[in-house]
Amino acid sequence: MLAATTIIPYPSWLNPADNTWQLISATLVGLMSLPGLAVLYGGLVRKKWIVNTMLMVFTGFSITLVVWMLWGYNMAFGQLSHFGPTGSFWSGFVGHFTPLSTSGAEQGQAVSGANTLIPFHFPTATLAYFQFVFAAITPLLFLGGLVGRLKFKAWLLIVPLWITMVYCINAALMWGGGFFAQKGAVDFAGGYIIHLSAGIAAFVGAAIVGPRRWQDRENAFPSNLMMVAVGAGFLWLGWNGFNGGATFYAGADAASAVLNTNVATAVGVLTWLLMDMFFSRQKKPTFLGVINGMLCGLVAITPSAGFVNGTGAMVVGLVSSSVVWVSWNYLSRIRPFSKVDDAMGVIYTHGIAGLIGGLMIGVVADPSMSVYGVSGSNFKAPGGFSVGGWFYTHSFHQLWEQFLAALWVIGYTAVGTAVIFYLVKFLVGGLRESDETLAIGDLAIHDEEAFPDPTFGEPVLTPSHTHSDNK
Amino acid sequence: MKLVTAIVKPFKLDEVKVAVKEVGVSGMTVSQVRGFGRTGGHIEIYRGKEYEFDFVDKIQIDIVCTDESVDVIVDAIVNAARTDIHGDGKVWVTDVSHVVRIRTDEHGPEAV
Repeated sequence: MLAATTIIPYPSWLNPADNTWQLISATLVGLMSLPGLAVLYGGLVRKKWIVNTMLMVFTGFSITLVVWMLWGYNMAFGQLSHFGPTGSFWSGFVGHFTPLSTSGAEQGQAVSGANTLIPFHFPTATLAYFQFVFAAITPLLFLGGLVGRLKFKAWLLIVPLWITMVYCINAALMWGGGFFAQKGAVDFAGGYIIHLSAGIAAFVGAAIVGPRRWQDRENAFPSNLMMVAVGAGFLWLGWNGFNGGATFYAGADAASAVLNTNVATAVGVLTWLLMDMFFSRQKKPTFLGVINGMLCGLVAITPSAGFVNGTGAMVVGLVSSSVVWVSWNYLSRIRPFSKVDDAMGVIYTHGIAGLIGGLMIGVVADPSMSVYGVSGSNFKAPGGFSVGGWFYTHSFHQLWEQFLAALWVIGYTAVGTAVIFYLVKFLVGGLRESDETLAIGDLAIHDEEAFPDPTFGEPVLTPSHTHSDNK
Repeated sequence: MKLVTAIVKPFKLDEVKVAVKEVGVSGMTVSQVRGFGRTGGHIEIYRGKEYEFDFVDKIQIDIVCTDESVDVIVDAIVNAARTDIHGDGKVWVTDVSHVVRIRTDEHGPEAV
């Protein structure tokens, strides 16, 4: 019955390679959260906080997706709402507050908010899922600053409010074709929107929630270094999707972004390692130090992965890892850093590393690195796009645009986070679990523990001595 | 009857086991314990922060034996566990008033 017609299973605008790469990239990024961050954080917190931390990761991921479907995606990436004259800030800071619920909305061709890019070759569902996993990881990153005392109910409210009021606005401004995008600031895969923003939110949030119990803060023993290795591995390789998918086309720039990401990370690892071995007080190479160096490389290359060449990527890894190493060891002793209990140090490995990465675009971005079209030193085809840093252009223009966008992200995220945290504090009656609960941890909040021992427990409804098979 | 209790370095457990088997011991109980003696502990570093561990990992060995065999067993443990470096541990002997083997209900020296 089908013989006469050739069935083409997708529309002509759809490119299966682009669509496949985009969905794989999105899945890789999702794996960075689940299980990546769940086990990374689970391994870094004390044993009594593992379950609480992992549950916050899984619930945060779920809440963000529901928000994303109902209004988040269209706020960040839908058509812009023009609240002011074209070109003004108010015409380009947020999209429409509408759900992503119809067949057309999911299966139609994906378009960017302001329609500034060449058309995408995959459906909106692909773009929405890809952008979702980026949105989802952001609150999970700032969660790192809050673990070990944040009230569970508060978390369930902080996530939807923060995604809506902070993430969607920042994303629309930088990525959805909004104000900063129009000004020329760039953020390849989220050095500002995700990492700088998460670092600021972690720091402001931790200041408002208050520190962990002094016992948990002073004796911050990691529960399991092998689980940290598993989580860190998911992050590193998952980042191939993070930066490799950020071009939206499975072309040459996706490939160079993946390679640049990895080399920046390798340099970040080795930089931290050598700094530990030669400049730390103990002169010891440490695994957890190297994981910080890895994060510095990954985060700093994120805003520039497709804009720099291989040399630039190595410079980014080197600068980021060494500056964050110095911050981690020395800045942390100075107010306000010494006063705020950012449990995982998110302000350093994401905030400072993201800021450095974003600014480095203005220094080392290579104008010959073409994001779209054919790569090559003189590529100027229609729709082609590249960014030039000071090293190549001898102009500070890009650095200035990057600086202004950073100021916005830092300021808006700090204020937005503070407003949301105080609002949630009012709504759920405090942001902290009670002191009695904090002393116990997982068992008090969830009636679960990370490593239950069957030797000392038995089923309540059928105690072993009552069982008919028990002879 | 006597109870021989020994605290030894964890990596010496295998040698101690072989040595006491050779002198005819038919059973022993082993526990992982921690403690401090005259030697200090060690430092661990997590995320740049130092922690002092005063309590050092040790193995505790408990052997119930007859009065006649106690000296050979103690000698065997001491010889097998010695490294001549601080922290080799201790062996002590206490009197045991009563022993029962659960499976057979034997009492006294037969139960050892």
